[in-house]
Amino acid sequence: MMARCSFDSWLSTILSPSSFECEQLSWKSMWPNRRNSVHLFHVSAKFYRRRKLFGKTTNGSSVMVLFKQDGLATNTPANGPLAGKSTIGELRPLSTSEENPEGVNFGKGVMESTISITVVGASGDLAKKKIFPALFALYYEGFLPKHFTVFGYARSKMTDEELRTMVSKTLTCRIDQRENCGDKMEQFLKRCFYHSGQYNSEENFAELDKKLREKEVGKVPNRLFYLSIPPNIFVDVVRCASYSASSSTGWTRVIVEKPFGRDSESSAELTRCLKLYLNEDQIFRIDHYLGKELVENLSVLRFSNLVFEPLWSRNYIRNVQFIFSEDFGTEGRGGYFDSYGIIRDIMQNHLLQILALFAMETPVSLDAEDIRNEKVKVLRSMRPLQLDDVITGQYKGHMKGGKAYPAYTDDPTVPNDSLTATFAAAALFIDNARWDGVPFLMKAGKALHKRGAEIRVQFRHVPGNLYKRTFGTDLDKATNELVIRVQPDETIYLKINNKIPGLGMRLDRSNLDLHYAARYPREIPDAYERLLLDAIEGERRLFIRSDELDAAWALFSPLLKELEEKKIAPELYPYGSRGPVGAHYLAAKYNVRWGDLSSDGQE
Amino acid sequence: MAASLPHYSSQSGVSYSSRHVRHREAPASVYQGFCSKTYRKLVSDQSPSGFPLNAVFMQQGLATAATEKVTPLKQMKDGMLPLSPPQEGLDDLGSMKEERESTVSITVVGASGDLAKKKIFPALFALFYEDCLPKHFTVYGYARSKMTDAELRNMVAKTLTCRIDKRENCSDKMEQFLKRCFYHSGQYDSEENFAALDKKLKEHEASRLSNRLFYLSTPPSIFIDAVRCASQSASSANGWTRVIVEKPFGRDLGSSAALTRALKQYLEEEQIFRIDHYLGKELVENLSVLRFSNLVFEPLWSRQYIRNVQFLFSEDFGTEGRGGYFDNYGIIRDIMQNHLLQILALFAMETPVSLDAEDIRNEKVKVLRSMRHLQLEDVVIGQYKSHTKGGISYPSYLDDKTVPKNSLTPTFAAAALFIDNARWDGVPFLMKAGKALHTRRAEIRVQFRHVPGNLYKRSFGTDLDRATNELVIRVQPDEAIYLKINNKIPGLGMRLDRSNLNLHYAARYSKEIPDAYERLLLDAIEGERRLFIRSDELDAAWELFTPLLKEIEEKKIAPELYPYGSRGPVGAHYLAAKYNVRWGDLNAEHQHES
Repeated sequence: MMARCSFDSWLSTILSPSSFECEQLSWKSMWPNRRNSVHLFHVSAKFYRRRKLFGKTTNGSSVMVLFKQDGLATNTPANGPLAGKSTIGELRPLSTSEENPEGVNFGKGVMESTISITVVGASGDLAKKKIFPALFALYYEGFLPKHFTVFGYARSKMTDEELRTMVSKTLTCRIDQRENCGDKMEQFLKRCFYHSGQYNSEENFAELDKKLREKEVGKVPNRLFYLSIPPNIFVDVVRCASYSASSSTGWTRVIVEKPFGRDSESSAELTRCLKLYLNEDQIFRIDHYLGKELVENLSVLRFSNLVFEPLWSRNYIRNVQFIFSEDFGTEGRGGYFDSYGIIRDIMQNHLLQILALFAMETPVSLDAEDIRNEKVKVLRSMRPLQLDDVITGQYKGHMKGGKAYPAYTDDPTVPNDSLTATFAAAALFIDNARWDGVPFLMKAGKALHKRGAEIRVQFRHVPGNLYKRTFGTDLDKATNELVIRVQPDETIYLKINNKIPGLGMRLDRSNLDLHYAARYPREIPDAYERLLLDAIEGERRLFIRSDELDAAWALFSPLLKELEEKKIAPELYPYGSRGPVGAHYLAAKYNVRWGDLSSDGQE
Repeated sequence: MAASLPHYSSQSGVSYSSRHVRHREAPASVYQGFCSKTYRKLVSDQSPSGFPLNAVFMQQGLATAATEKVTPLKQMKDGMLPLSPPQEGLDDLGSMKEERESTVSITVVGASGDLAKKKIFPALFALFYEDCLPKHFTVYGYARSKMTDAELRNMVAKTLTCRIDKRENCSDKMEQFLKRCFYHSGQYDSEENFAALDKKLKEHEASRLSNRLFYLSTPPSIFIDAVRCASQSASSANGWTRVIVEKPFGRDLGSSAALTRALKQYLEEEQIFRIDHYLGKELVENLSVLRFSNLVFEPLWSRQYIRNVQFLFSEDFGTEGRGGYFDNYGIIRDIMQNHLLQILALFAMETPVSLDAEDIRNEKVKVLRSMRHLQLEDVVIGQYKSHTKGGISYPSYLDDKTVPKNSLTPTFAAAALFIDNARWDGVPFLMKAGKALHTRRAEIRVQFRHVPGNLYKRSFGTDLDRATNELVIRVQPDEAIYLKINNKIPGLGMRLDRSNLNLHYAARYSKEIPDAYERLLLDAIEGERRLFIRSDELDAAWELFTPLLKEIEEKKIAPELYPYGSRGPVGAHYLAAKYNVRWGDLNAEHQHES
């Protein structure tokens, strides 16, 4: 095995083969403890419906029994015997000592567990804007375990107090939870600490380990590392954390953020390096789109409503569109973006993940591995993208209402001759029995006229439509459409044809709709809350498995390479416009209209 | 029969060929305003001089009973074939305007009755101010009581209102309308009196092509007299003559057939417009649109996905001192056998060849003829008893002075029906209709099967059937369509919820929805028969219900009593349970819907 991990220029870590081998052993030796699935959590019973089960102990504290298949990752055969398959879906004793959950409190042999969440890169933007607020939200909603500690880790010198001050600026309470908000914040901040260190220093991580142990004393320690850092130091951090700061008796998990490489090779290299130190089931690759409420709801809609079941195939669906748009450009922060482009930044991960969820066959169960197995099958049935099925664009400067909007290349952090796409549209195909011939269109762009993310399912026209005279010549303009708007303003609606009330027989498209804000006045949790909670609970459904990632890159890598080698110039479009017209021609090639740009798309 | 009255068939035959042009997109419409923008199945041509020309393109006279007219009209069933040589040049229409100018005379027989005052005159006025009536028209009231034209106008004026969105010039319009209203007093069985009416009508019609519509708003006992007199003495000499008849159409198969036979002595099938005003309701009209113009519903519409269908009708008041007529019929005849059964047939029919009246009615008849006759054990009947609530005491049905003290007439009924065809075999179609219940509403509920192998079954608890999809079409009040779906409650957990994908008409369409009578009157004027009941449909409907009705009456089955203002007798629940169904309107969650 190659000990050297070198994916692209930004990674340069050298490891000795012997060290990681023995380290791998030591990580695996922790497995039996990770099976120890009874945690004493202090969680109120209103959260009963997550995939876990609470047994109230006699003294009133809650006992949580996790019955998901911790460690059943496909790539870690070593875990086979330990896999908790038999516990799926029902309440079975997890081990002999736990046969009587009521006895947990009396059995002195069972320790309470604690969780230490270390945010590596704590001074960064994502940490401040998303991670700490999400942790706080989980805390005040009562979702975090009774014992937990949050550690910030970064290079800058900072005291605990300074970290708390920094964090407290970004914390807010939901509108419906304003009571005791200040108290809760204070309690939360008391559990936040800071440790300064280098990202590649095992010694610094060993110091962190020492501090963590102090907090964990007397309890089963579980550790979660959130890598909120540039990708070039992923592997360093993972190495140091695993060598010097992994839990000795509990689990250790690592959350990684995109980018996961920039093509098949670099991604595979990253995975390989991560796996030197981590087992597959310790790696939580986050795709925060999968944590969005309506993406979660997609499977519920599909699989718990009979009315959608017969429709979900090439027999009734004419095309599916995945649309993402931002109404702002890189705004002076194009450095990272320019080396990736919109296809890597949005399509290959977020949109493709949603596509896979949309198109997958019914999984055997809702367990993470079953769902991810189905997603991989979709990805592997897809045709690699062809250059002539893709349109790229880049925004140019634009004057509107006396205001000048800059071009992408006006961004000082972007090279003046950059060909990086800020817009892309693509047609994808899934060559399986269900979807053969159905175009799956994707569109993603920055600096467009609006901000939004949605899925649009356009149905075929009614064969032999009795009302065809009422529709004029274009039957396809009167087809049904199911729209799932992920953001903003979560909504599901189904466009149907109905009669305009009155004496005539005029037909109209109206919406059968469900507007979330109207129906559910509670604030919808941020995607990061859900994903952090899932990682804490070991629920892997919404994280990307290595083979999924490989399959995703296999689809896009040849295209990306071709775009770059041929130096394909993106079509320019004005800042704030609807994107390059090329997208229309691409859609037209497959006899499709973009649902968001149709004349009645003002919804 | 027709042969004994030659002027009917010949005159109507001529008039078809002179007026009917098929499938022509009108360059402009005579009807100003609302109707002109409207795509009805009627297309109107504007002649150069501005006179209206009705171009009706439904297959008039293609009724099964009127065989003598089938052949010439069949030729023009599709396409734009000229109907007769004179019409070949449609551009010549203007030059032929003298012969073509037509007028319609609408005679409301029984003008002093309740229905006439509350529904017919207001509907005619609404059509007038929406510009849906032809340029030349006259409205005649006919009844026994002595009244002057002015008195009639006074009486009519009291009930006219303008729609909220049409308040401008309302009183002007009323005045114009009332000027066209006249009254003629006469006996219903007097040919002389009708001849006198005919004379008056002729004065108004002058030299124009005269079309005549008689609306029989009279008790059924005088239907035939009135039809006889109208046809012998007051039918149009050169235009069409049509007669609108209101229910009841008999009280069983025998009496209904006798009525039809008697009517046909004087009228052809296509002259008879049997009104079922439920078919004129907006959402009943929309039912076919929903089904046939939305692909998403197409695969669902069968036993494979639909578990049961419910047709519900409830009134929140009793007979209130007017039970005389009702007591003789009962709720099954009054609501189920006609309104609910008609909606059922529309719901369940196969896709018709076209939207033409005969095609649709053919499919409806097929449904009715595929249905199993009702069995006594599939029916629950009830009668409301008195009830005191909040200090107010509500009377029982028998407290009504117009009702016999020992009446067994049901004021409530629930029934399970079955259509033994390939599409619907085994699917229960439940009907429920009642008076003096807790709400007033009419709706169709389609309950779907549960998801086979539901992945989320643990989230639903033990009863999968409580988490099924349901499509609800609420006909009244407060028109709405909604589809109950399961979705995730936003939040960190995985709790499922039933919410509605909905379309609330009042929110989406701010215009007032026209009354069913407006649509039906307009259709009758235009000769559109889609929403009227053909004789064979009526026979098939009676055939289903007659044995049951006879059995109930012969066995003197006592209705289950239920308190005024309640949800009806519990027997209805047991009937539903027998077929493993729950009434959708009585669910615990139902409160949230309205």
